[in-house]
Amino acid sequence: MDWLYEIISGWARAGYLPAIFEHTFMIRGMLAAMIIGPVLGGLGTVVVTKKLSFFTQTIGNASLTGVALGLLFGEPVEGTYAGLYGFCLVVALVMTFVKNRTRLSNDTVIGVVLAQVLGIGIIMLLLVTNQFNIHQVEGVLFGSLITLTDGDLITLGCASLIVTVIFCITYNRTMLVAFNPVLANARGRNPVLLEYLFITLMTTVVVASLKLIGALLVLVLIVVPAAGAQNIVGNLRQFLWVSIALSTISTVSGLFLSALVPVPSGAVIVLTSSILFYATLVMRPLFGRSAVRQGDG
Amino acid sequence: MQNETAKQQEAGAMVDLPLLEVKGLSVSLGGDQILDDVHLEVAPGSIHALIGPNGAGKTTLIRSLMGGMPHRGTIRFRFRKSGRIGYVPQLLEFDHSVPITVGDFITIMLQDSPIFISGIKKMRPHVQQILAATESDHLIDRLIGGLSGGEIRRVFLAQALAPLPELLLLDEPASNVDEQGALLFEQILLRLKDEHGLTILMVGHDTRMILRLADLVTSVNCRVTFSGAPTELEDAEKMAGLFKTAVLPGERASGGPH
Repeated sequence: MDWLYEIISGWARAGYLPAIFEHTFMIRGMLAAMIIGPVLGGLGTVVVTKKLSFFTQTIGNASLTGVALGLLFGEPVEGTYAGLYGFCLVVALVMTFVKNRTRLSNDTVIGVVLAQVLGIGIIMLLLVTNQFNIHQVEGVLFGSLITLTDGDLITLGCASLIVTVIFCITYNRTMLVAFNPVLANARGRNPVLLEYLFITLMTTVVVASLKLIGALLVLVLIVVPAAGAQNIVGNLRQFLWVSIALSTISTVSGLFLSALVPVPSGAVIVLTSSILFYATLVMRPLFGRSAVRQGDG
Repeated sequence: MQNETAKQQEAGAMVDLPLLEVKGLSVSLGGDQILDDVHLEVAPGSIHALIGPNGAGKTTLIRSLMGGMPHRGTIRFRFRKSGRIGYVPQLLEFDHSVPITVGDFITIMLQDSPIFISGIKKMRPHVQQILAATESDHLIDRLIGGLSGGEIRRVFLAQALAPLPELLLLDEPASNVDEQGALLFEQILLRLKDEHGLTILMVGHDTRMILRLADLVTSVNCRVTFSGAPTELEDAEKMAGLFKTAVLPGERASGGPH
């Protein structure tokens, strides 16, 4: 990866880019932001349609336990991906299974699991802080640009590529299931299989983007751009592209700002996306979505 | 699970045999008996109405016919052509905030190539043609969330007709539709029956609609409580009686998955 950093920091030294890009960590962060922005924005359209916002939050919260587990099983502090991905995926799939197999509402299942992973997370946190640096865990919760490694970047790139390919192939089917599962089933789609597949994709992206955005804030970056897009778009195609645009502008400009002021990158990214969301609210009447139009019967 | 479903497609002359024959259908969900020993015969090219109180198992019966519902008893189809079943679901739970147009909705069912690449451009003439069958082609660029009850009904019916099925299952087609919209919907159904010989099984609440449309009526309340011509139902007293005798009155809403 060094050749790439060399080229980009060369541009910064030559004055084509702001001086901050002479630092490798900043270039890494920007590359990560450019990869994760579009992926989160795209997945967000389905998350919002399927009403999975707090489901996503639960996966984020589970990551704390995931990191602790990884550390306990001897993974290096720079990357506890096995513990992290393993635990988050188990939590996500079990939640989906419980929701599908019982009469409990989605909301209730999320409430129960959210409480559990938080409880376990706090206990695990105490256990591992005796042996490890608490700042590693903080990095997971709030995102930490400085700790981003080449390995993280490559993991993020590969995960995003795989997720994007599967997402594109299954998009129409997943959207139909999200919009009306009973009808999707009647038309020969398998709503349960597609749901598990989407949950797996989402967990993959959430875990891969933790270091940049942080577990507590990743929900925002999945939901807010898609919610903003909903305010102003007029069809599914615009929905995806506007959501991707809002999310990418948020990650890239948020990261840039976080280099100028000493606060976690995740927080600034989230703040940028919130400002964009309010902008779409203001623009909403211009796009004729201010009122529900009634038909002629 | 004792699943003895025999879904058979038989060739040959079966003009007088029912297109759909249900014998001894029983379904229980979570310990509740939803359907008990239900018998039903639907003649080809007829409109058959299914009535009953809320929670009587009408939607469960429809879903059993589509497969994917564990049940006892036999369900037998005698299809002669495509063997396709068209389905129009209940629309009680419906998210109006999803930015999906009528064109998007039809297109995502017809093609796997992601809609965000080309939109509906490639499919537009085909989608327009599908919508025209239910007089809704002018709605192609409208958001589904902004449509009236009648318009949504016609759009959902249009998707069930592409490609043309042999049996059409309609769940509560008249709910949330105004008078004018209901009449247009009825005209479309009658035309489908007359011009395409479509067999239609519909769940309904609206007795006037059933009187105007249906060739036969079956009333279900866990068991079959009545089966015959709609004119036999004209007696308002009798009608009220059929709707009142729910197994668990008020316990299950019609929007539930039964």
